[in-house]
Amino acid sequence: MSTVVKQERAVSINPLRACAPIGAMLATFGIHGALTINHGSQGCATYPRHQMARHFREPVEVATSSLTESTTIYGGRENLLAAIKNVYERFNPTMITVCSTCLSETIGDDIPAFIDEFKGLNPEIDIPILAVKSPSYVGTHITGFDNFLKELALALPRKTRPNKRVNIIPGWVNPGDIREIKEILSEMQIDGLVLTDYSDTLDGGLYSPRPHFPKGGISLDEIKDSANALGTIALQKHVGGEAARVYKRRYGVPAHVLPMPIGMANTDRFIKTLSEITGKPVSAELQSARARMLDAIVDTHMITTGAKVAIYGDPDLVEGLVRLVVEMGMEPKYVATATDSKTWPTDLMALSEEFNLDMEIMPKTDLYAIHKKMKAHPVDLLIGHSKGKYIADEEKVPLIRAGFPVEDRYGYHRRSVVGYKGGVYLVDKITNALLAKKGALVSNTLLEFK
Amino acid sequence: MAVLKCDATIPERDKHILIKGEGQDGKCSIACNSATTPGDMTERGCTYAGCRGVVGGPVQDAIQLTHGPIGCAFFSWGYRPHIADSDFHMKYTFVSDMDESNVVFGGEKKLLQSIIEANEAFPEAKGVFIYNTCTTALIGDDGKDVAKIATEKIGKPVVFFPCEGFRGVSQSAGHHVGNETIFKNLVGTAEPEEDSAYSINILGDYNIKGDLRTFEPLFEAIGLNIVARFTGNVKVDELKVMHRAKLNVIHCARSATYVADMMETKYGTPSINVTLWGIENMSKALRDTAAFFGLEHEAEKVIKREVAKVMPKIEYYRKRLAGKKVFIYQGGPRAWHWPELLAELGMETIGAATTFGHADDYQKIYEKVNDGAFIIDNPNVPELEEILLTLKPDLFISGNKEKYVAYKLGVPFVNGHTYETGPYAGFSGMVNFARDMDKALSAPVWKLVKDMAQPVPGGLEEEVA
Ligand code: SF4
Repeated sequence: MSTVVKQERAVSINPLRACAPIGAMLATFGIHGALTINHGSQGCATYPRHQMARHFREPVEVATSSLTESTTIYGGRENLLAAIKNVYERFNPTMITVCSTCLSETIGDDIPAFIDEFKGLNPEIDIPILAVKSPSYVGTHITGFDNFLKELALALPRKTRPNKRVNIIPGWVNPGDIREIKEILSEMQIDGLVLTDYSDTLDGGLYSPRPHFPKGGISLDEIKDSANALGTIALQKHVGGEAARVYKRRYGVPAHVLPMPIGMANTDRFIKTLSEITGKPVSAELQSARARMLDAIVDTHMITTGAKVAIYGDPDLVEGLVRLVVEMGMEPKYVATATDSKTWPTDLMALSEEFNLDMEIMPKTDLYAIHKKMKAHPVDLLIGHSKGKYIADEEKVPLIRAGFPVEDRYGYHRRSVVGYKGGVYLVDKITNALLAKKGALVSNTLLEFK
Repeated sequence: MAVLKCDATIPERDKHILIKGEGQDGKCSIACNSATTPGDMTERGCTYAGCRGVVGGPVQDAIQLTHGPIGCAFFSWGYRPHIADSDFHMKYTFVSDMDESNVVFGGEKKLLQSIIEANEAFPEAKGVFIYNTCTTALIGDDGKDVAKIATEKIGKPVVFFPCEGFRGVSQSAGHHVGNETIFKNLVGTAEPEEDSAYSINILGDYNIKGDLRTFEPLFEAIGLNIVARFTGNVKVDELKVMHRAKLNVIHCARSATYVADMMETKYGTPSINVTLWGIENMSKALRDTAAFFGLEHEAEKVIKREVAKVMPKIEYYRKRLAGKKVFIYQGGPRAWHWPELLAELGMETIGAATTFGHADDYQKIYEKVNDGAFIIDNPNVPELEEILLTLKPDLFISGNKEKYVAYKLGVPFVNGHTYETGPYAGFSGMVNFARDMDKALSAPVWKLVKDMAQPVPGGLEEEVA
């Protein structure tokens, strides 16, 4: 039987999460020629830029409205108007996202009203300017992303003639994941639109000459047309689920909010939904990929079965990973997220009942809480982002890096954890880590008779 | 006419750009240390970043607690490699994690509770450093008062840094806050068991990738005692007794002169400015410091011995690096310290910029670069791109964010903020520095880039819709 463990501490020690504006910034990179203005103090722009540059290993450009003492007293209106103008004139962007911060929210700046005023003053500038609420004391980095998608869905799509496309909202994933999703679509010959697609802009090649805006990202026309899709599939409940529902309510586009396609069953669900929406059969190549993943799990199950694991990160990622490790016969012991979600603990409880698991489900928690648990009852493996490296190091367990940020290793943003191919990658990675841990001996857990 | 084309629409940036040359009377009249133009893609950080990230953060046995929402704490956790003998400060970060209700009703209670809990979890910590952020400053939480109460409750120094991000124009303000807070709350609060007549403090070195290791043994070899490092690889107890040092040796003048000045006023401690990067500079630093104590003879011995060790390697690199042109963009001091060590390697600094330099800093840069050199204050991304494309330096030295801009433009790059594989200070660090320059410049990949980079698929025309 699993239990939901609430964190009683006031202090957060080794937080698991970043703050909201970074989510809106990330999503904006998926639109070609779009730029973000962070309405707050310079640090609120520079910190996330730095964090993203370390994860994606790409130039990450975000403007700031550069609030200082006086603006916090008189309000940030003037700075924001100047910032929009500056960014527009200098870069000629297709769209501007203005995300709020702790600072601008606390002083009560009404960003939508400022944008309206700007548009009134500059009627010749007719690009969309999107206001996204992202104070970091409400929610987490994924909240900022989610709010962005919701605002985008409300502001830009226009219902005209039906197209044959499927809107896919992958949520907070890596460029590698988006590529994998696009490959699945192309293998099934489905015309899809990924909202938003930063697979090229944040994992770009080296071109000469360097383009003014990085190659890639979806266009505004495509976003407009997204109101005419056959359906919307959100692949994370917490990032994009709301937007999918907006498409349904506003434009009558059927919404499917699925678990993140990590592992066999979840990927099957995604593929099945795609096939149902479009009437397209599952391609032979996808069936082979599925068979290969099954083969990989069969090959490794004697090593992975019974291994204990702790998993942390964004709620949907963790939920997906739990299902995958269970498919591999492993025992998730501690599963943790920083997000305060009503549905997440319930969904994990449901998973627990389905597979008769014994997990401690830890919502709205931090890495220190996981560490303390691991000290009392060790696990064989840790799965999560780079910030868990200190724990892994101290407890001498391997860390499988997944999620955001992975800043102490290269190339993880290029990898996929979704789909059958992502599954094979994870299965191999996990198995090899277990093997490497103690030479041929897998783990203490496995040597015990139960 | 704007000096840089990309500034055509924001001509006020012109005041922040200067080309050293005729018509100037030896004074660097560049605009600096002023608010960033709204809408800029500035590389600047905030006051919190300067205080928590640079000055307070390296103190190894203090609980580093951010009072605010979580983002600031998450982003400032472990990104600066100010390593130390024990890694508590690198491994753990603490935050009062303000949520909406705390913002509405105030966060003082949560802060106090956080301090107590953090101290219970890590009783071995020697103190608690609390950093203020935008939110908690705006709602008016009295962190100073909470710190006072907490000090009594836990019986250890709890120090409050009023370093909210919107204060000041850059992270530089945070250095100031950090200096002042540590001075007022810790310095002079204890007396050392032993007092040495040959003792110094090293100020303004943050032990990036172990810089201290390269020069501390040199100071010790001439018979000096290091009381405290401000603040790389330092413990709370060392900060408490640092007033007993006989001399303050300041490395980063920008970030640490404040504390030296306060110590001079209160304790009469004299200070000297040194540069601990480069062979010439490091030698001079040892000489000047030793002269204060009458240890000239010892210093010469150490210099002779140590320089002899590294010189063959330096010579090797010098031959490979001579004639290369470099553009430096650093936070503060490296922009004016490094032209000299580049010159030692036969390289030329064709331009320099800083994120948060003040007028005196720019004057130093001005004096160290040749006529025609490009000096720019708080450059933004388009400006950096234009500089790299038009000045065409062989090498660009800057930090992590700018690294990938340089790479996309095919420009060799060395990370001067966090170092590629440092340390870079001291004599042995100079070898690392030269080696990294050489690696960046001579990597075969640049030939591949030149010969093989593909044009953008679809061409550039369709780029801007
Ligand atoms: S937590 Fe708030 S103040 Fe800190 S970086 Fe994020 S938005 Fe800015």
